[in-house]
Amino acid sequence: MTLVREGDPEAFGVVYDRHSTVAFSLAYRITGTRNVAEDVVQEAFLSLWRSSARYDAQRGSVRTWVLGIVHNRAIDVLRRSLVHERRRASDEGIEERFESGERVDAEVARRDEAREVRSAIETLPVEQSKVIELSYFGGFSHSEIASMLDAPIGTIKGRMRLGLEKMRMHLAHQMEAD
Amino acid sequence: MGCEHTIDVSSYLLGALPEDEVPRFAAHVEGCERCRREMVALGPVVDSLALVAPRAAPPPELRERLMHVVRGEAQLLAAAGASADEVGPPTAARRSWRLGGLRLTPMPVALAASVVLAVGIAGALVLSGGGDDGGSPARTVAARVLLPAAPEARASLVLDGADARLQVSELPPPPGGKVYQVWLKRPSGSPQPTTSLFRVDDGRASVPVPGDLRGVEEVLVTAEPDGGSLAPTSDPVIVARPA
Repeated sequence: MTLVREGDPEAFGVVYDRHSTVAFSLAYRITGTRNVAEDVVQEAFLSLWRSSARYDAQRGSVRTWVLGIVHNRAIDVLRRSLVHERRRASDEGIEERFESGERVDAEVARRDEAREVRSAIETLPVEQSKVIELSYFGGFSHSEIASMLDAPIGTIKGRMRLGLEKMRMHLAHQMEAD
Repeated sequence: MGCEHTIDVSSYLLGALPEDEVPRFAAHVEGCERCRREMVALGPVVDSLALVAPRAAPPPELRERLMHVVRGEAQLLAAAGASADEVGPPTAARRSWRLGGLRLTPMPVALAASVVLAVGIAGALVLSGGGDDGGSPARTVAARVLLPAAPEARASLVLDGADARLQVSELPPPPGGKVYQVWLKRPSGSPQPTTSLFRVDDGRASVPVPGDLRGVEEVLVTAEPDGGSLAPTSDPVIVARPA
């Protein structure tokens, strides 16, 4: 990131290669449309290039920073649309496909991490995983979710917190086991 | 000591707080140890959710387009010198725009929110205003617009200490596929590129002029291909003399 900050385009290329697949996956998952996901990822990486001076390693990894930008922009796009009406990525028959040049070891590590997170989500009661999914991937506010599920806002907030806390404990145990 | 707002940390991290509540909650967290601890504990969990999205690779063309823009901007920065990206504080919200098939958020360009300011200045010949920092007063210098087909177009250069800003109104959009680029010309030598690339929003724009204006004879604007140029490829459409 130091080189990116100094305006080195090739360093930017390395950062892009390392994080673009997970960034695109997230954008696609949220927006449900490839073209829109492309726009989101473009904006996010250009923002990274142009504001790399604001990156603070003490506040998280580059991946966390990139994904934070992607998530915010994708949710903005979603909320700007008139309705939360979009196809789920899974409905479009999305298939896993990787760049042939992608580093295998890095990809394996990412898959392992994704598996652990997925496993943590699977430990949650469905009412907790649902509110987490609706908010993080769906861009719905807690009051919108409360209306959708016909439950008090306080209950929705409680489910979110309980769900995240259980996930945290599950992931911590997995790290210890590793 | 408990805090009644800690329950909202999860909503905040997940993006589920209503937008109008976010600034107030963020301010609260700054001063609440318990909520900060909750953020530190649950933040990484929320970050990890991105990893469970079904994997999809971006198209290779996306990388090519991004690298084209990034390399172009790096070249411009290098050509314009170390101070090229030193611009004054933005005066308006940035907005995204499309450039060569890419949706870009131009670095130094501030558009719509400065419309009122631009309109207020448009048409002025030479004005002056008081700086509120106790330093030299801001000056506004009229610029020549060399577009016979757009007699209503106006441009001016606002000089405020070390900061300079170009304001335009009624300026027609650049020809298809092109953007406006700002240049600095000194008495000896060819125009030096800046990283200020812009389009107009309903004819208007307010653009920081980056770099050191000392010794600059003219601030120029030309229409250039996407991503800007290292040397002008067309005649100037705006000429301002800061001195």
